[in-house]
Order: sequence, then C-alpha cells, then structure tokens
Amino acid sequence: MGTLGRAFYAVGFWIRETGQALDRLGSRLQGNYLFQEQLSRHRPLMNLFDKAPSVHKDAFVAPSASLLGDVHVGPSSSIWYGCVLRGDVNSIVIGSGTNIQDNSLVHVAKSNLSGKVLPTTIGDNVTVGHSAVLQGCTVEDEAFIGMGATLLDGVYVEKHAMVAAGALVRQNTRIPYGEVWGGNPARFLRKLTEDEMTFFSQSALNYSNLAQAHAAENAKGLEESEFVKVLHKKFARRGEEYESALGGVHETPAELNAQDNVLLDKVPKA
Amino acid sequence: MFVLFSRKLKDFFTLSLSLMANLARFSKRALRSAHALARQHVQAQPVLTAQRSFATEAAKSIAPAADRVKWDYRGQRKIIPLGQWLPKVAVDAYVAPNVVLAGQVTVWDGASVWPGSVLRGDLNKISIGFCSNVQERSVLHAAWSSPTGLPADTSIERYVTIGAYSLLRSCTIEPECIIGQHSILMEGSLVETQSILEAGSVVPPGRRIPSGELWAGNPARFVRTLTHEEILEIPKLAVAIHDLSRDHYSEFLPYSTVYLEVEKFKKSLGISV
Repeated sequence: MGTLGRAFYAVGFWIRETGQALDRLGSRLQGNYLFQEQLSRHRPLMNLFDKAPSVHKDAFVAPSASLLGDVHVGPSSSIWYGCVLRGDVNSIVIGSGTNIQDNSLVHVAKSNLSGKVLPTTIGDNVTVGHSAVLQGCTVEDEAFIGMGATLLDGVYVEKHAMVAAGALVRQNTRIPYGEVWGGNPARFLRKLTEDEMTFFSQSALNYSNLAQAHAAENAKGLEESEFVKVLHKKFARRGEEYESALGGVHETPAELNAQDNVLLDKVPKA
Repeated sequence: MFVLFSRKLKDFFTLSLSLMANLARFSKRALRSAHALARQHVQAQPVLTAQRSFATEAAKSIAPAADRVKWDYRGQRKIIPLGQWLPKVAVDAYVAPNVVLAGQVTVWDGASVWPGSVLRGDLNKISIGFCSNVQERSVLHAAWSSPTGLPADTSIERYVTIGAYSLLRSCTIEPECIIGQHSILMEGSLVETQSILEAGSVVPPGRRIPSGELWAGNPARFVRTLTHEEILEIPKLAVAIHDLSRDHYSEFLPYSTVYLEVEKFKKSLGISV
C-alpha cells in the first residue's frame, strides 16, 4: 500500500502543478487587469517612529483593529474589530476593563481651533459602543458611550455618565456625574438610576469575559483553526428540532465547546 | 592598466558603500535601543503629570508584553467560530474579505455583506435573509436579552437593504424594508414590512416602525406613508444591489493564491515549506 499511497501523492502533485501552470496562463491572459494577491500588510499595532503602542498582555486587540502611535491599553481591556486608535499627534490612554467596540474611532489628529491639542484619556471600565467617534476627549471611569456617538474635542464625560446612542456632543461640553445626554447637539435628557449605574460596570465586566473568548479564537494558528473546521463538518447539527424529535444526544468534542463565560454570562436589560 | 585601476575604484566604492550602509544600520539600531532605554526611564513622569489621578494607576502598570503579536501575515480571519457556533455563509452570498463574521451568523442565499462590516453574533443569533444586503461599515450585534418581549436576536428578513454605516443591535427587520445610511436601531426595535427609514435615523429601544411608512430623525418620528410605487421599488432595490454584488463576487477566485506568497515568504526566511 506504500507504493499506492506514493502514487496518489505524486499524481496529486502533478495535478497541482498543472493547476498552478494554468493559473499562470490565466494570469497572462488577464494581462493588465490581473490582480496578484499579496499578504495582508495590515498591522494591528503600528508605531510611528518612536511612538509605539503599549498594550497589556491581558487586553484583547482584534487583528483588524489599528492602534497607531502613542496608545496605551490597560489590562482586561478590549479593542474590537475594525477600530482605529490613532495616537499620532498626542497620546491615547485606555484604562483597564474598558471596551472599545467594533468600528470605533479614537483619535487626536487635528489641532484644536483654540490651539490646544488634547490627549485622549479613557478611564477604567468604560463601555464605548459600536462606531463611536472620540476625538480629543476625556472619559472618566465607569462611563457609557452609546453606539454611534460622536464626541468632539475637549469633551469631558464624568464618572457614571451616559452618552446616548447617536448623540453628537459638541466641543468642550462637560457631562456631569450620573446624567444621560443625547441628541444632536447633545442635551441633558435625564438622570441615571442606581441600577443603571451598576449596569455599566457589569456590562464592562461581561465584555471583558467575551473578549477573552474572542482573543482565544483569534490567536489560533492555522492548524488549530483548520482542525476546528474539520470538527464542525463532522459534528454538523441539523438543527435543534431534528435532534429533539429523534431524542438522540450528540457528543461534541471539547474543542467545540465555548468557554463558560460566553454562554453563562447574562447582560442585564438596559 | 586603466581597466585594473577602474576595477579597483569600483571595488573601493562598493566597499565604502557597504561600510556606510552597515554604519547606518548599526547607528540606527544603537539609536533605537538608546531611545527605548531613555523612554523606559522617562515614560513614568510625563504620563503621571499629564493624566488625571484616576488614570495614573493604569498608566503606571501598563507594560508592553514581549509576546504581543504585532503583525500576523494572515491578517484578520473572515469567519470566526466561537465554540460550537460557526458562521454560515450561503454559496452564492457575497461576503467581502474585509468583513468579520463571528459567532452565530447565518448569511442566506443571494445576500451580500459589503466591506468593513462587522457581524458579531457572540451573544445571540444574527441572520441575513434572502437577497438582503448589509452595506459598508455596518455593525450588527445582538444583545443577550431585549427589553421588549421580542426575540433578542438580530434577524433581517428577505429583500432588506441596510444602508452604509448603520448600527443594528438586537432588532427585527421584517421583509422588504430599506434602512437608510448611518441609522442606529437599538435593542428590541421592530421595523415592519415595507417601510423605509431615512438616513441618519435613530430608533430608540423597543420602538416599532409600522408597515408601509417613512420614518426619520433622531429619535425616529413618523414622516409620511409610502405610496404604492415606492413600496414596489423596495424589493427592486434589493435585487439591484444583489446584481451589483454578483460583479464584486466574480472578482474573487474560489480559493486565494496567497499560499504562493506564503511559500515564497517562508522560503526567504528559511522555514521548510
């Protein structure tokens, strides 16, 4: 059987070589409109000469995020997919347990109209929602920036304050302790209750746990992720109805079990 | 004689060039290490003085990890399985390579997810229905539970157009809707069938957009009802975007040829292929 296996191996090689030659032929035919794939040159952590991001090893930085320049990220924080944290002109400091959710933008790029260039500081346990834009602002601990919010230069968000979703907070606005501001331009909406304030810390904690699951998954090498794909194919379930109707129980391998904190953690209602 | 002299000159030049290059490299390296040393000593002070007191503890304890991955040649994977949940993409759905699908995401037939979007089904399910499209840079997320009684998963039914840069969180969108660009739909909101949300609208948690109406604003308010012609246009828009996504889809080969680059890369590093 050794010779048969080797024969298959050689034939496989011939077919692949033929395929590569055909690929080169097709590329020649495409001529000017050919696209040659390059390795991904995207750098999650990029330094600008001497300004390098320093990220704590417990923090989760999604591979598609971009941390450029002088960015400091504390322990248990998470920077989710597609974020851009641009610390080129000044520094960005992000505390511990903070999460900057997907597609957000934190930067200090332009110089202010009043001439001041402010570093951006985000405290501990802050939740910055999806697609938020924070420019030159300071956010204290345990605050909550809703998704899609835009915070312009010099904004100061105090502890336990909340910026509602879609808000546009004008320059140099100060959002006091325990208040909800929203709208365009941002106005005082109402005061927060005690439950809601504790909810912020809880949600930041939940996000840290979620980030650990994503960090583990994104850190997998090629062999591991391919193995997981094979396992998924083998243990593909046809849906909950099929299984419960048959009454059968499928054994799922350990690799396919999510971490406990992803399944058991519940985010309380807003 | 002259030839010998010129050859000696050439050798001299190449030698001096290489010497200068080495010198430049060494000096750069020395400069960089000196910089790093200087920065380590000086780093604590300016950070302390510049920040508020609450952030100093964090700033002092942040140290870059030696094993932090700075660059991975694979970039960001498109499909991120979390435990048992594997995002499923239909065979003829176009999902741009820039997109991140994580957790329980199902993209049904004819749907398209355009570049820059993030579909994060880690807390709950996300499903994109037949011939729907999620345009550029949108973020779809699902919370664990929603304040209303509606299911907390984000489900987008057939023929829905979700405009660019919109944020959807735990909402239900019934068939044949148009969600304008940069709109924000919060937990538990329901957009009923054949309605249009203008660009930039913010739908507060638990809000219902009735069928056949046009809503806009932050927070979303009723503008007018839709005429019959406009209602007929809605699925036509979805189908038009589906046709456009066919063009985009055909630009990509079924398998990428990056492996050739990787093999070249590994060979140049001396790693056995």
